[in-house]
Amino acid sequence: MKQFIYGFVLYIFLVLPPVANVLESIMIIHMHMQMPLLVVTGFLMAKFLQQKFPRFFDKWNGNGVPGILLFSIIWLYWMMPRTMDEALTVQHVELFKFISLPFLAGIPLRDSWKKISLLLKKIFFISFTVIFLGMGMLYIMAPIQLCNNYLLIEQIALGWGFLTTAFCMIIYLFYFRFTDKPAQEV
Amino acid sequence: MKNKRHNLLATIIVLLFGFVLFYVGTDQFSAFTAETARVNKLVEEKPQFPKVTFEDSQKRKYSIDEFEGKYVFITFIYSMCTTVCIDLEMNMDQVYDLIPKEYMGKDIQFLSISFDPERDDPERLDDYKNMFTNGDGELWRMARIENQEELEFLLDEFGVIVIPDEYGNFAHNSAFYLVDRQGTLVEVLDYKKIDEAANTVISILDEEAGV
Repeated sequence: MKQFIYGFVLYIFLVLPPVANVLESIMIIHMHMQMPLLVVTGFLMAKFLQQKFPRFFDKWNGNGVPGILLFSIIWLYWMMPRTMDEALTVQHVELFKFISLPFLAGIPLRDSWKKISLLLKKIFFISFTVIFLGMGMLYIMAPIQLCNNYLLIEQIALGWGFLTTAFCMIIYLFYFRFTDKPAQEV
Repeated sequence: MKNKRHNLLATIIVLLFGFVLFYVGTDQFSAFTAETARVNKLVEEKPQFPKVTFEDSQKRKYSIDEFEGKYVFITFIYSMCTTVCIDLEMNMDQVYDLIPKEYMGKDIQFLSISFDPERDDPERLDDYKNMFTNGDGELWRMARIENQEELEFLLDEFGVIVIPDEYGNFAHNSAFYLVDRQGTLVEVLDYKKIDEAANTVISILDEEAGV
């Protein structure tokens, strides 16, 4: 319950228009802070909902695959340059962002992560590392401004943000590979 | 066993949802950036060029009606720009060269519109036009729109997004715009593909001339 309240308060805070405006005014903060934080709010709120509706999660997300897929789809969707732009200019896209990231990404991620197999975890983790590398290169090397609402320089900063995240993930992969860890600690 | 079926069903639903989400979100997988979506939409909607008052490099004032009966090949620029506008205008210069001379001035007009009316006064635009070989101020005119409201209305209609940065520059999207003889926007062309843009324009003109 405590976690739920933390998550809910953070969510309300993030949705407040002045806070949202500030976070969205800088491209890298929009994608690498606001969006992940929204996922975190869902993640925090998940436990309470899992306890409240255990049967729903058990029935529909028993092996964790639907949940992790849903998370991936939502996260990929918000990595597109277009959705970032439209979140700023089209109101219902913005609304969808505030609904999809916590409830369709954060909650399923938490519910799924413990359920999916180690192999699937590895595939998931490595795929996202590769995607982050790709997105990083795309945003850094694209000769044109991909988002109409952000300057080219911000786009490059975002690209480096992606690469940094990807490098951290690679380091983690090496760490995981070369240290002796029981599987459930992933 | 039953759970397995539910899981499979849920997986399929999620995948379908994902497909629909991306399908709708990218206009049938055609536009992954807002810029592409903007261009697609413009070509579909074909907005009318609004009635705004230009002031050109020779201090003449007129509206789009000045060019009635001609196609108008348009770019949006500001003269202090050191990056993309130069490319845009250089490429426009080359498109100009590719268009058969008999059409020039009779069937087609070139026009660069500045969205920085404060700095781009007629004198400044007069200097700027000389940077380009075809910039004669007549067949290829440079003009500003002094009235800020009119300017913003035009930019909005034609989907030009201009963001001022802290160094007095502007970030903006660029394209070639082709407005037809009645003042309707008919084409938005990639300014980096000079030949393609020129060919599109020539084929339209040829077709109307019955060549």
